[in-house]
Amino acid sequence: MYAKLVLKNAKRSVKEYLVYLVTMTICVTLFYSFLSISSRYYHPDVGSEYNFRILGRGMKYAICAVTLLLLFLIRYVNHYMLRSRQKEFALQAVMGMEQKTIGRIFFAETFIMGICAIAAGIFFGVFGSQFITAMVLTSYEKSYRISWTLFPDTVLLTIGFFVLSFIVVGLFNLRTVRKIKIIDMLSADKKNEPSLKKSRWMPTVIILYELSAAGMLANGIQTMYYYFDRRFAIPVHIMFWGNILLPAAMLLWSVGWLIAIWAGRKKCDHKQAVANQAGSGTDGQKNSFSTLITGLLVCSILNAFCAASMPGMQNKYYLSFGTGINNQYMMSVLVDLLFLICAVIYLANSFIIAWKEKSPEHRYHGQNLFFYGQITTKLSTTNKTMTLICATLAMAIFLFMIAPVLIGWAGGYLDVRSKYDVQIFSRYNNVYEEENLPRDDYEFVADYLAENGVETAYDITFDLYLPRSEDFHKRIKYDFPVVAISLSDYNVIRQMLGYEQISLEENEFTTQWQTIATEDERDDFLKTHGEISTDAGKLTLAKRNCYTEAMGETLYNSYTDAVLVFPDSVCRKLLPVMRNRYIITTDKISYEKAYELEELFVSVYPENTESGVAYGIGLSTLQINRTKADMFVLQAVMLYGAVILMVICLTILSLQQLLDAGHYRYRFAVLRKLGVEEKDVEHLILKQLGVWFGLPVIVAILVSAVIATYFIQSVSAQISAYIGFGTLMMQILVTGGVLVLLLLCYFISTWILFKSSVGE
Amino acid sequence: MSTILELEQIQKYYGNEGNITKAVKDISFEVEGGEFLGVMGASGSGKTTLLNCISTIDTVSAGHIRLEGTDITEMNPKLLARFRRENLGFVFQDFNLLDTLTISENIALALAINKVPAKEVEERILEMARRLNISDILNKYPYQVSGGQKQRCACARALINNPKLLLADEPTGALDSHSAQMLLSTMQRINEQLGATIIMVTHDAFTASYASRILFLQDGEIFTELYKGSDSRGAFFDKIINVLTMIGGGQSHVC
Repeated sequence: MYAKLVLKNAKRSVKEYLVYLVTMTICVTLFYSFLSISSRYYHPDVGSEYNFRILGRGMKYAICAVTLLLLFLIRYVNHYMLRSRQKEFALQAVMGMEQKTIGRIFFAETFIMGICAIAAGIFFGVFGSQFITAMVLTSYEKSYRISWTLFPDTVLLTIGFFVLSFIVVGLFNLRTVRKIKIIDMLSADKKNEPSLKKSRWMPTVIILYELSAAGMLANGIQTMYYYFDRRFAIPVHIMFWGNILLPAAMLLWSVGWLIAIWAGRKKCDHKQAVANQAGSGTDGQKNSFSTLITGLLVCSILNAFCAASMPGMQNKYYLSFGTGINNQYMMSVLVDLLFLICAVIYLANSFIIAWKEKSPEHRYHGQNLFFYGQITTKLSTTNKTMTLICATLAMAIFLFMIAPVLIGWAGGYLDVRSKYDVQIFSRYNNVYEEENLPRDDYEFVADYLAENGVETAYDITFDLYLPRSEDFHKRIKYDFPVVAISLSDYNVIRQMLGYEQISLEENEFTTQWQTIATEDERDDFLKTHGEISTDAGKLTLAKRNCYTEAMGETLYNSYTDAVLVFPDSVCRKLLPVMRNRYIITTDKISYEKAYELEELFVSVYPENTESGVAYGIGLSTLQINRTKADMFVLQAVMLYGAVILMVICLTILSLQQLLDAGHYRYRFAVLRKLGVEEKDVEHLILKQLGVWFGLPVIVAILVSAVIATYFIQSVSAQISAYIGFGTLMMQILVTGGVLVLLLLCYFISTWILFKSSVGE
Repeated sequence: MSTILELEQIQKYYGNEGNITKAVKDISFEVEGGEFLGVMGASGSGKTTLLNCISTIDTVSAGHIRLEGTDITEMNPKLLARFRRENLGFVFQDFNLLDTLTISENIALALAINKVPAKEVEERILEMARRLNISDILNKYPYQVSGGQKQRCACARALINNPKLLLADEPTGALDSHSAQMLLSTMQRINEQLGATIIMVTHDAFTASYASRILFLQDGEIFTELYKGSDSRGAFFDKIINVLTMIGGGQSHVC
């Protein structure tokens, strides 16, 4: 009998919780698909130079961690289900069923639904894993073939993970059902949700925000004290003062508000009692509270702009703040934006009410009264949830936006870095005696390659010189000298990389630049270095004064973006400070051999030697392997995380409308009885859902756009060097498209289900 | 007085071919303009079905219903919605007020749906609230007022558009005796002073005694009808009780 009840209930619930089930299926599908590449049975053909295990391990932990977020959704939906079913439970209890049994029945039916979602998810996951394989092989630049496989260890892990999640949440529910009193269950649907004005949510948010405003003020004063200079341009002045005055304004506004409230209360103490009886007292308080929030909101927007302008100002006016200061301002932008979300959602309700009050024309037009009633009631009781949804959505959109930036950055950086198959380099940063400078030829590396049958196509050992030996002891970060390379060595390297040869006249020099260097930096340097004095005499800048082809990072001195190219005769008279060796092989070095060579090199040339010279080896096989694995894990986790966060938010938004369909059915039935046409009812439903989905989505898009702009601004140099703004915009547009598609899917399905549940 | 509502051989069946329930078998009657008609009967006698058919919430299986000569059984859904909002007012046992709106807004909604100009709305609400004695609760929400006040609000909403016909389904069903008495007096006043035509379904003799004519239904058919005429309310009440005794406690039921 009980089994029949469980099955019947589960069948009925499937209809009501369709959106939740579809979301769970999507999540299981993604989980299985991403985890399939960590399976022991997964062997994609990525070539001998790649080791796939590095990727698999990272993926497993990252995906499981992200998926834990789903527990929140499962718990939320179960909680909602429990609340809406309480009356039914009460009837069962009154009929004599033990509460323990009722709890178990509820647990069983939610579990059955969960199992269905897991089964469907794994089924679709088989297809999904093909998509992931395609993604993997594309990132390893290999062609892709479809192969249908079910990975038993991944299936077990998926089932284990989700079943455990359902059991954990189920046990909580069991406990709740057992503890709750029958009388409370019977009257559950009669209880109103706690009213917003009684909730402590906004006051707590304001107190926390005021505390952080005090921190921002202190931070602003400190930055002003240490970094301000009267000669700065006007926008920089505004930024500095804004970062002090705006937090101060926030604090003063609140203090002023408190004084006004206190004075007002004292003045009309006896009037208040009368007003309270008429119910207008609380409205008055609410209005004044809205005034406080509005003031703070204005300040927070301005403050966010001021703080967010920091990286832009730094780039434009060459300000140099430490990383610590930058992070502090980034934090204050985040805090401002979080407050902005809370305030906008809170004020949206007050705004609608105020607008409704002020415009009778609008209020009494068609079904507007009904529409505003629907929106304000729901908003006032779900303020906190809406705020959390907004913040989470903003985070998801931000992840979607920055994933291509980070991936492009890492990919572009890899291309610049791994120019040679073997790249041996040295650094003199800790060498204080000239006789300790590196003079080795690293011959054993060439021997190792020869022994292992790896043919070398190009091989060059070269020195990097200090133009003036007196600069040898310059070791302050921004004071490191730019080093020089001889023209013949430079030309050999250019030949290795397939670039055309260059030539120089006697007593001429030219420059070679890192990809990351900006045009402004180059121009500044070239303007001030038309002529340089070296230990071998003065040299003038050649007509073709700069080359920007990527030649790897180890060609440059620490903290510098340029290398000077001198005629060989000049270099012979200079002090060589670093010795590098670059090798390009005819065939790729396999992962195992590369790993062995790296180990061998580190044992012979440790990173820190007694002489102070730091040696290093970069093998493109290893660099590509590690970066690609990291990139893939990063990309997968960010996209997976963004999709999970997004679907959680959209599911909650959708369920909040669908699970209250009982109330709505009644309200729309009243409307129909009053003679509202079906067409107008449908229009109302669309408007209601539009606002419900639109408000959090628009706020989240705005907030995430601000954060993304801030982020892109602070890494603009890397973006233009490694990705290009055009490509980035294209990628952002594509991810935006995916986002809109997801949103549309949820919106349309909610709309259809909602229409059918409030239908006649 | 002219005939405002005419029902001609109304039938309403539920179920499919194998299992038909006849809720209304064959009912015909007329209602004069300004009349206060009561419909009584035991549970399951078909009175609410009849009211639902008149109110166009439900459709008839056979027969015709004419309001001022217009046959409402042959209208399409769009016209029906318009007909409802322009000609009918409803008062339900469970009030059917929207919990998201204040009392004033609940009344205003009916006007707004009927596209009444915004500047007239508040004036009309205040006037109606004064008549029904709910002026002091206009800014409260339904959950903040008593059942009687809610039902008077529902009455105000039903009457605000000056409907040709006010339909009330057990309007006192959820009220205490004092509230019920106040509401019925209000309805009687509306009938007498505003000339509103009212059809009220009830199973309570005291409530029915406020009407000027009563139709008694039994098993989906009209059992009898009773006119108040010049009787006092007390005398009319006694007559109603007699008829009810006859319906519920006739010889056939004892044997």
